[in-house]
Amino acid sequence: MTVLILTRPEDVTADMVVDHLNAMDAPVLRVDPADFPERVSLTASFASGALTGRITTEHHSTDLRDVRAIWVRRPGPPGNGARAQAAWVALESDHAWYGTLRALTGVRWMNHPDAHTACRYKMRQLVLAQTVGFNVPATAFTSVPVDAKGFAEAHGPLVCKSVSGQAPNDPPLALPTTPVPDGTDFAAVAEAPTCLQTLVDKRSDIRLTVVGSEMFCARADQSSPGQAELDWRYADPQTVRWRGVAVPPDIRKKTESFMKLAGLVYGAFDFAVTADESWHFLECNASGQFGFIELAAGLPISRAIAGWLAGLRRPV
Amino acid sequence: MRPFALTYARRPIPEPETSFAYDPEQQLNVLADGTPAVRNHKVLLEAGSTTSTAGSKTHFDD
Repeated sequence: MTVLILTRPEDVTADMVVDHLNAMDAPVLRVDPADFPERVSLTASFASGALTGRITTEHHSTDLRDVRAIWVRRPGPPGNGARAQAAWVALESDHAWYGTLRALTGVRWMNHPDAHTACRYKMRQLVLAQTVGFNVPATAFTSVPVDAKGFAEAHGPLVCKSVSGQAPNDPPLALPTTPVPDGTDFAAVAEAPTCLQTLVDKRSDIRLTVVGSEMFCARADQSSPGQAELDWRYADPQTVRWRGVAVPPDIRKKTESFMKLAGLVYGAFDFAVTADESWHFLECNASGQFGFIELAAGLPISRAIAGWLAGLRRPV
Repeated sequence: MRPFALTYARRPIPEPETSFAYDPEQQLNVLADGTPAVRNHKVLLEAGSTTSTAGSKTHFDD
């Protein structure tokens, strides 16, 4: 058997899992699809009713029939290095690469690309979260300034965040979740769809990481009520103290339902917890980071991922 | 007019300085002495490479 890991070389968080897989004597092929076809080769043949072939890197290779698990961690896009007809080569590479992997049988995905792609859409996540019973803050996407103003009047105070979860890259910018001041002029909403959400008056942040049937929950309490930085990703790391906590039974049940509905086997959930200990769903990151939580709170997430990929844990 | 959300944009968090490099044979990032970086938690924490920091090239959807 081979565990195929798709991620970028500099992804040292993936190393944490590779190290465990090595200790488990589970064969690993780590590949960045961005290196295909320049530095990684693929041949897949479908003949006489059988799909056969190999993926080969500089030092390693696997028979496609040996692939038992695929971890779609943080891969680059296939065909990223083409010099001539770059867009077309990228398209051809994507279809050759993922078309082959999708056709393999008996393979467990963490996560399947279809589930991962669907989970990237924020509004769908919020509807799913509401469906399974989570508290979900009122949220609007709008390009209509008067509608944004009306939403603020009905559901404020608000925060503004990216619709896609990504920040602009030309030039590169960071886009933290940020409170929208009272009396804001929403005219610029017409320039691009804007995500507005009711501000949750939180006392703590939760990062709940799900690996198959296992859950790892970390909590960071605010250093002071209403601390200046709302988005912990951008706060002074010295002020964000993660500690492992138990998952409340009702949250576990709702999270399991969400994972099943979303078709995910890995997910990193963000919740905001208010003074009355109510948990409010913010988002589920289908390839969210886990290394910082493991190191800060001592939660054995990478071991769980390795175990799932190696088939040592029961898939859900 | 600038898109509304970009009212709140900031300069991105710089990519962390790392003291390790990818070794394609081991399929791991290694320190200068060849040992896997992942075994050295102090190095990982100092580099911030495992941290959730949306906007960097390796942390695109945290």
